Amino acid sequence: MKTLFTATNTHIVALAGSLLVLAACHDQGKPIATPEAAASAAKGIDGKWFAYPGQVDPLERTIDPPQPIGDPPLKPEYLGPWKELRAKLADADKRGEPIASGYTHCLPDGMPAMMMGMFPMEVLESNGQVTIIQEAYQQIRRIYLNDKIPAWQDAEPRFWGHSAGHWEGDTLVTETVGIKENILFRNVPHSAAMHIDERIHLIDKDHMVDEVTVTDPDYLTTPWQWTWMYARRPDYKMYEYVCENNREFADPDTGAARLKLFGPESK
Amino acid sequence: MTKRLRYLWVLLLLSSLPGLTPSAFAHHSFAMYANEKQIKFTGKVSRFDWTNPHVYIEMDGKDAKGVSKHWTVECANISILGRLGWTFNMIKVGDEITVIVAPLHSGQPGALLKQVTLPDGRKMGNGNPAGPPDPALAGGNQP
Repeated sequence: MKTLFTATNTHIVALAGSLLVLAACHDQGKPIATPEAAASAAKGIDGKWFAYPGQVDPLERTIDPPQPIGDPPLKPEYLGPWKELRAKLADADKRGEPIASGYTHCLPDGMPAMMMGMFPMEVLESNGQVTIIQEAYQQIRRIYLNDKIPAWQDAEPRFWGHSAGHWEGDTLVTETVGIKENILFRNVPHSAAMHIDERIHLIDKDHMVDEVTVTDPDYLTTPWQWTWMYARRPDYKMYEYVCENNREFADPDTGAARLKLFGPESK
Repeated sequence: MTKRLRYLWVLLLLSSLPGLTPSAFAHHSFAMYANEKQIKFTGKVSRFDWTNPHVYIEMDGKDAKGVSKHWTVECANISILGRLGWTFNMIKVGDEITVIVAPLHSGQPGALLKQVTLPDGRKMGNGNPAGPPDPALAGGNQP
């Protein structure tokens, strides 16, 4: 509750400031620049970011990476089945019969996985909003500054949910609810009440972290926390990504991922 | 613990966690390919799809006995390859190329690219998730 109260106060102060500056700019016929936009530009999270230290595009290790993500603190009735599924997937991979996933069907990550998606990420700070674009599947997430997220019961289920954020010093503090129950991170089940808190900030001018905390009263015994890290790549230009030529499919009998072949021998 | 030891420990931890193995960082798992049974052949390109979620080379390759066989060769995707220096017009229909690939476990004529040698002699890799070519086939530690 303390956090909420602080957020509300910040909200009111920022809103009052916005109105004053908006009025001043309007009077002088100048382009409108809100205090949020001016302040956020100074936070430095705007730009192109690669996963650090990176798996798809490995980077030279110049600083220590964060700790690996631990197992989810699932309630005992869910932890057992989750571990069984993990063993089943590993066994299928070992046998060369990997089980199809959402990717097989060209489904995007959704939240929170898109914050460590396969490819680089672009953060855009603009008037009253932080927009995050993950190159893979062209995923877009909008964090509305000094806004309120809906109560989870009222939140339309989405891939990326509903996010609101505010600045605490140089840290972007966000809350997200409304993630579709079939959109899973690491195959961890969750309820509609799942809540994602994030603290996004620089640790030096070229490295950024996202400190993630997931809570879920139905599935988790305690908050599940981890940190993701990114390295800045100012020269990078994002590629487009449309899943136009998906040749993978799930075997209807075994669920294994298969590849469509077009050669004469495959007919 | 020295920095190097800590690094190795982190690598060991990462490799033991599902969802963090390189194969999970592709559009689909590459576990359907027999990484340990890589082969090398030369052939003519009949189609080159510069597309997502994967880039594909269709080619007629000749095996060691000179028998021609059509192969679907799966590559990474546009952006992974683009960051490695590939371009959309790097391979053309009719090009004679040599590939090192990991064939499908199923025995079907599909494979995952490990390295391609272009008509001009350039050797290009297929990115970190696909992994490197077998040095015995590549003649050294090639991309």
